[in-house]
Amino acid sequence: MQRTNTRPRRSRLDQGYMGFLLILPWLVGFLIFKAYPFVSSLYYSFTDWNLFSGGSWIGIQNYVTAFTNPKTVKALRVTFVYAFMTVPLKLMFALFIAYILNFKIKGVGLFRTAYYIPSILGGSMAIAVLWRAMFKNDGVINRILTILGMENINFLADKTWALFIICLLRVWQFGSPMVLFLAALKGVPEELYEAASIDGASSGRQFLKITLPLISPVVFYNLVTQLVQAFQEFNGPYIITQGGPRNATTLISLIVYNSAFSEYNVGMSSAMAWIMFVIVMVFTAISFGTQKKWVFYSDERGDR
Amino acid sequence: MKKLIAVVLCLALALTCAATALAEEISISWWGGDSRHEATQAAIAAFEAAEGVTVKTHYAAWSGWEETMSGSFVAGNAEDVDMVNWNWLFSFVDASGESYFYDLNQLSDIIDLSQWSDGMLQACTVNGKLLALPNALTGRIFYWNKTTFDQAGIEFPTTYAALKEAGAVFQEKLGNDYYPLALGAYDKMILMVYMLESKYGKAWVVDGALNYTVDEIAEGIQLIQDLEDAHAIPTAATLAGDGADSLDKNEKWITGKYAGVWEWDTSASKCQNALAEGQEFVVGEELTDLGEYKGGFTKVAHGFSIARNSANVELAAKLINFMNNEEEGIRARKSEYGIPASAKGLALCSDEGLINPTVAEANGKILAWCSFPLDPKFESGELKNDGGVYQDVFEGLSYQDYSVQEAAQVLFDGVTAVLAK
Repeated sequence: MQRTNTRPRRSRLDQGYMGFLLILPWLVGFLIFKAYPFVSSLYYSFTDWNLFSGGSWIGIQNYVTAFTNPKTVKALRVTFVYAFMTVPLKLMFALFIAYILNFKIKGVGLFRTAYYIPSILGGSMAIAVLWRAMFKNDGVINRILTILGMENINFLADKTWALFIICLLRVWQFGSPMVLFLAALKGVPEELYEAASIDGASSGRQFLKITLPLISPVVFYNLVTQLVQAFQEFNGPYIITQGGPRNATTLISLIVYNSAFSEYNVGMSSAMAWIMFVIVMVFTAISFGTQKKWVFYSDERGDR
Repeated sequence: MKKLIAVVLCLALALTCAATALAEEISISWWGGDSRHEATQAAIAAFEAAEGVTVKTHYAAWSGWEETMSGSFVAGNAEDVDMVNWNWLFSFVDASGESYFYDLNQLSDIIDLSQWSDGMLQACTVNGKLLALPNALTGRIFYWNKTTFDQAGIEFPTTYAALKEAGAVFQEKLGNDYYPLALGAYDKMILMVYMLESKYGKAWVVDGALNYTVDEIAEGIQLIQDLEDAHAIPTAATLAGDGADSLDKNEKWITGKYAGVWEWDTSASKCQNALAEGQEFVVGEELTDLGEYKGGFTKVAHGFSIARNSANVELAAKLINFMNNEEEGIRARKSEYGIPASAKGLALCSDEGLINPTVAEANGKILAWCSFPLDPKFESGELKNDGGVYQDVFEGLSYQDYSVQEAAQVLFDGVTAVLAK
C-alpha cells in the first residue's frame, strides 16, 4: 500500500526566512539611519566637507587639527574631567542610596519612587533651564548661601564651578543605576551577612568583602553605560552654560554640533565624533578587558 | 438608526479627507519673539481665508534657529516660505554654486517687486538672482531705561565720555548691581566697529579684506575695556552669572538694573515689552565724541525667501506678496518685522498709525546716521555664534585671559581666516 504523505510541506517561510522577515524593518532602519551615517561620517572625517557645498579629501588633516588646536584639545580635556568626575560620583551616590533603600524601613516605597523621579525627567531642556535658574547669581542656591551667612558664588561664570554644576545635574539623575543596584543588593543572600556577623566582620568589611563582589556585574554594567552616556553629554552644557565660561564646559559633543551646524564644517565635526567614538570604545574595551579581575559572575565560581 | 449614523459619520469622514487632500498646502518658517509670532499668525490666518489654502507654520526664538534651518535646507525639507538672515543668502550655496533659495525674479508676475527700492533688491541679489525680499533695513542704536537714569539723577549719555562717567554715578548712587549699559560679546563687537568707523572713516571690511590694522583694532578694544573698567558695562562673568539667554530675558534688564542696550531697531519692541511695569523705555542718541565720521552700518534685517525645492512656488510667492504688499497682510504684521521695507507696507502702516513709534524713531535715527556698508561674512557663524571668534576675544579680554593687544591679534587673525574662506 502506498503511503501518502499527509504532513504539509514546510513552506520556505518556515525554513528560516520568517525570522529574517520579522527583523527586516529593523534591519532596513539600521542600515539607513545607523550604518550609512556611521560609515559616511568616517569618510567625511577625512574631507573638508562643508554642510552646503561639499568638499574634497584632505587625509588626516582634521585629526591633526583636533589634536593641535587649543580649543579642541581643551574640549577633549574637559570631556575627560567631566566623565571621570561624573561617573564615579554618580555610581557611588546611586549605590549609597540603593544601600539605604535596601533596609526594611517604613515608607521605603515612597522614597524609592522619589529618588527615581529625577531620572524620569532625564536630561530634558526644562530641567537644564531649571538648573541654570537654581545656580544663577540670584538663584535658589545663592539665596540659601546668603541665609547661611556665606559669600555668594558665581557658579555659572566660574570656570571650575561651572563644570561642577554640569556634573551635578547628571549625578542628580542617579535613579537608573540606583534601581539596578537595588535589584542586585536584593539578590545578595542574607545568610552570608549572618555568617560574616557571627565571624565578627564589621559592616564595612561585610560591604567590601560580600556586597561589592556579589553586585560587581551590576557595577560593571552601570560603569560601562554611564561612561558611554558621560562622553555623549550635550544638553547640560548646551543649555546651562553654552560651553562657557571660556570653554570651561565645552565638551566634545558641543564641538561636534557647533562645527557642523554653526561653522558648517562637517569634516571637522565628523572627525571629532569619531575621536569621541574611539575614546568610548577604548574605555569600554578596558572595562571588558579588566572585568575578569574584579567582576564575579555566579556561574564562574572559583571552586568549579 | 445606528446604520444611518454610521453612514453619516463615514460620509463626513470621507468629505473631510477629500477636502484636506484637495486643499492646497504650503509651509512657512520664521523666528522672533511672541509679538512677532502673533502678528505673523494673524497674517497667515487672513491669507488662508483669502486663498482657501492651508499654511503650516514652524517658528521659534532666534537662539538655535540658524542651526535648525541650515540642516533643513541641506536635507531638502525646509518650509516653502522661509524667513532668512541676510548673510544666509551668501552662505547657503551648494557644491555646484547654486543657491538653496528660489530666484524671485521669476515670480515677478505674482510678487510686486516695484514696492522695494533698487538698492534693497540689489542687496538681496546674488549672482544675478533675487534670493529674498527684505522685511526691513536695520542698524544698531542705544535704548535707555529712563526710569533708572532718573533715579541716578543724570541724562542719557550722548558722548563716550558721558557713558563712562555714568558708570561711576550708577555705582555710587544706585549700587554695584546697576550699570548704564549691558553688552554681550557680539554687541561689543558691533559697538567697537561703530567706534572705529567713527574715528577712521573706513568700513570694517573692503573687497573681502579686513580694513583695519592690529593696532587700530587694539584702540577699539581698549575703548570697550575702558567702559568695563569704568563700571559702565558689566563684566562677561557678571552677565554669565545672570543666567539669561539674551539681554531682553535678563532679570536685571527687566527690573532696570541694566539701564541700556545697544540693539537692532527691529528688536526694539522685544526689549521694550520685557521691561517691568513702570519702567520707561526711550531711544538714545548717537555718540558724538568718537571722531569726525558717522560710524555704524545698516543692513537688510532679514527677509522672506522661497526654498528652491518648494513644490508650490506660486502659492509661496502669493503668501510673500500678501504679507508685504496687501492690506490685510500689512495690517496684521504692522512693524513687528521692523519698519516695512515695502513701499506699500510703509505707506499703509504710516497712514494708519500701525508703526511702533519707538521703532520708527530708532529706525529714523539709524538711517540718518549710519553710513558704512556691512560685509556678509561679518555675521558668519564662526565669528558671531557661541564659541566663535567674537566671543573668544571679548570674553577672553573680560576674563583677563588676553591683554588688549593679544585680543586685537586674535580678532585680526580670526576675521582674516574667515574672510579667506
